[in-house]
Amino acid sequence: MEIHAASLTKNYGTLAALDALDLHVGDAHVLALIGPSGGGKSTLLRVIGGLEEADSGTFTVNGVQPGNKSTALAWRRRNGFLFQQFNLFPHLTAHRNVTLPLEKVHGHSPADAVRIADECLDRFGLAGHTHKLPAQLSGGQQQRVGLARAIAAKPEILILDEPTSALDPEMTAEVLELIGELAAAGQHIILSTHEMGFARAVADHVALIAAGKVTEHGPAAHVLDHPGEELTRRFLSKVMKFGLPGPAAP
Amino acid sequence: MPARPGHRRLLLDAAAGVLLVSVVCTLFWWVFAHLDKGLEWGRVWNYRKLLTDGWLLTLAVSAGALPGSCLVAALLIAGSRSRLSSLRWFTRGFVEIMRGMPLLSLILIGYFVFFAQDSFRAFLNSMGLGSKLFAGIALLSVFTAAYLSEILRGGLDSIPQGQLDSARAVGFDRPQILRYVILPQALRRVLPALAGQFVTLVKDSSLLNIIGIQEFTYQSRAYNSATYGGIEAFLMLALGYLLITLPIAGFAHWMENRFRYQM
Repeated sequence: MEIHAASLTKNYGTLAALDALDLHVGDAHVLALIGPSGGGKSTLLRVIGGLEEADSGTFTVNGVQPGNKSTALAWRRRNGFLFQQFNLFPHLTAHRNVTLPLEKVHGHSPADAVRIADECLDRFGLAGHTHKLPAQLSGGQQQRVGLARAIAAKPEILILDEPTSALDPEMTAEVLELIGELAAAGQHIILSTHEMGFARAVADHVALIAAGKVTEHGPAAHVLDHPGEELTRRFLSKVMKFGLPGPAAP
Repeated sequence: MPARPGHRRLLLDAAAGVLLVSVVCTLFWWVFAHLDKGLEWGRVWNYRKLLTDGWLLTLAVSAGALPGSCLVAALLIAGSRSRLSSLRWFTRGFVEIMRGMPLLSLILIGYFVFFAQDSFRAFLNSMGLGSKLFAGIALLSVFTAAYLSEILRGGLDSIPQGQLDSARAVGFDRPQILRYVILPQALRRVLPALAGQFVTLVKDSSLLNIIGIQEFTYQSRAYNSATYGGIEAFLMLALGYLLITLPIAGFAHWMENRFRYQM
């Protein structure tokens, strides 16, 4: 996938979440956004996902301008988005969380939607939990349902906003494993993460975002192992300070 | 064999239940046994047509004002969420005036000022809505709608931003977000308050007797005048309203359990 952002700016009141951000990625399969919290990763993902419109600057993903009001809905329908806090619909079962968008947004027949949902939930090891409500599932299970919902309609790009930040290490590992599998199967992914080991193993392109700007970006191995910028070095030494980096992907 | 803790709790529960019922029954028996005027249920039987007609009219007024108030509440919510600030302020002011005013004065002002206008009356007549009953239902609807709209607004505002994000992310458009994500959750949250408001609506309909609508309260008073004060009419009155309000409360409880999604 191809991403071009030029002077992208997004303000929340007086806070500049994105401050004339520039990012040009010619061809990435999995793009990982890393960097300190509050640096603008989530905002960039929301702009990429068409959930938020930038105040100024230009932005295209694979030649499409997602934030534009007239195209945003169609763009959101083409892609999948997963949130840190799961955000499943709490009044619907795991199964219905997946089938409802398939039916109402993507025009599948109810029978088709059920078949697809069964496949996705099965694939993520949720076969025995499909008729439970989100409140009856563990965090890891909820996030796997979220992942199933996000990929059910075969998204062009899967956007993941810190998909494991609300999970304990064991659940983190199980969700990262699934994301790794999706990437290996050819799914285009843009994600923000604090799991450096995972970013190194799965992403082919990494961008460090701080204070609303891209500090450094490039091939994952290059940025993570031989950072060129002082800011990147400091960030990486901080997150790696306590021993092992995050759990490795398969 | 010693009773298990579960059994003991059950026994205690049953004993407490019997005790409570006996105390209440004794109290009622004692109060009614010492009434100056006795209860004459034969008189109630003689006036059964009057009382039944009144009760049916109360049922009709309630059945009309319930959807009516929902309709007006929907308009008020739409107004309060309008992009035009003038419309938002107007709605806000309207709701606060309705809620700050006694229903009695709304009924009197509404009926003797607004519904008394010749041109308005002629307009309603031309649409076949000139009856006193329609005026009563309309006034009760508007009054209740002010409360309903505030209850619903609270419910809508209580849905976390994450749900909206999530609904947009899966590709729902605005009507779909409202229908599939926001409303089901918001309605479940405000169900107890909504049911309370509908019960209040039924009881509030009793005030319509002041403009001469011959509903249940009106007819009970007529019964009292005709029989020189039969206390039994008040008991009938209480029972008659409970016959309408208890099923509403019961239905709301059933709905709450049926649509429970938080453990």
